[in-house]
Amino acid sequence: MYGLDAISAHNGWQLAALGTSIVFTGLIILSLAISQIHKVLELWDERYAYYQRIKKFMQIKHRSEATVSDPVLPKNVKESARQFKLLIDQMGEPFSLPKLLDFSKKCGLLHSHSSVNDLLQAKLIIPDGNGYFFWNHDVEKNIKISTKTSS
Amino acid sequence: MSVDINIIDSLNLFEDISHAELEEVASLMRRIRVTEGEVITRQGNTANSIFILLSGNFMVFFKEGRSYTLHNKGDIIGLSTLILPFYYTGTAVALTDGDVISIPGQELLRLIESNSALGGKIMKKINQIISARQPFVTGRC
Repeated sequence: MYGLDAISAHNGWQLAALGTSIVFTGLIILSLAISQIHKVLELWDERYAYYQRIKKFMQIKHRSEATVSDPVLPKNVKESARQFKLLIDQMGEPFSLPKLLDFSKKCGLLHSHSSVNDLLQAKLIIPDGNGYFFWNHDVEKNIKISTKTSS
Repeated sequence: MSVDINIIDSLNLFEDISHAELEEVASLMRRIRVTEGEVITRQGNTANSIFILLSGNFMVFFKEGRSYTLHNKGDIIGLSTLILPFYYTGTAVALTDGDVISIPGQELLRLIESNSALGGKIMKKINQIISARQPFVTGRC
């Protein structure tokens, strides 16, 4: 048996089709990989920036996890939190800590410095890394939950 | 009030310094009690003393309302004392009562100049702290 008959008898057409599809699939994968090389190179060039970003993200995540796990605060801190939250709502976020202190003094709050320190220690006030601060709503929620359960 | 050498021995700033050198630095130090709300450095004033925290909590703030807070033993306030033009770049205020070590800038500079090995060790640490805090001063965080 020779020629096309032999090819058909020994699954030649199927093998040829399979071979072609394997080669073309390989070529497609290769071309896709080559087209994305610029992204890999960019990632490599910016690896320190990405590393810093991931590190910062992990720190923030770790910080929020730590704050959530410790929601129990003294009563006076809860009262300070309530008062300072009102002031921060007026000021907007992120807010300046010295301006918050000035504002609290003008409003007649007593021991505003130590109260702000209590809120910092309780992680209710957290730095944004740029010299300004945020109110930590996660911790605030936990305080509210703990107040409800205790009453 | 003089400062116990064992206290400063545990501080990060002096961890590479020999006992003899520590005694020299300790002779310049004075322990000061600060109360809540007390201002220990004021922005724009001549920087004549550097402060090391022993206890308490502090806030250092700059123009445009940027600030950072210090809560740990060994944290330093008043680094401008060692850098030209010797003016405080920030205002430091005590958030709670606490204790700080005060070192007169002129005398510390004299010691650094006279003992290059000691000066090198101290300035290396101080430069690390300055580079970390510089963004707060310049606003380029």
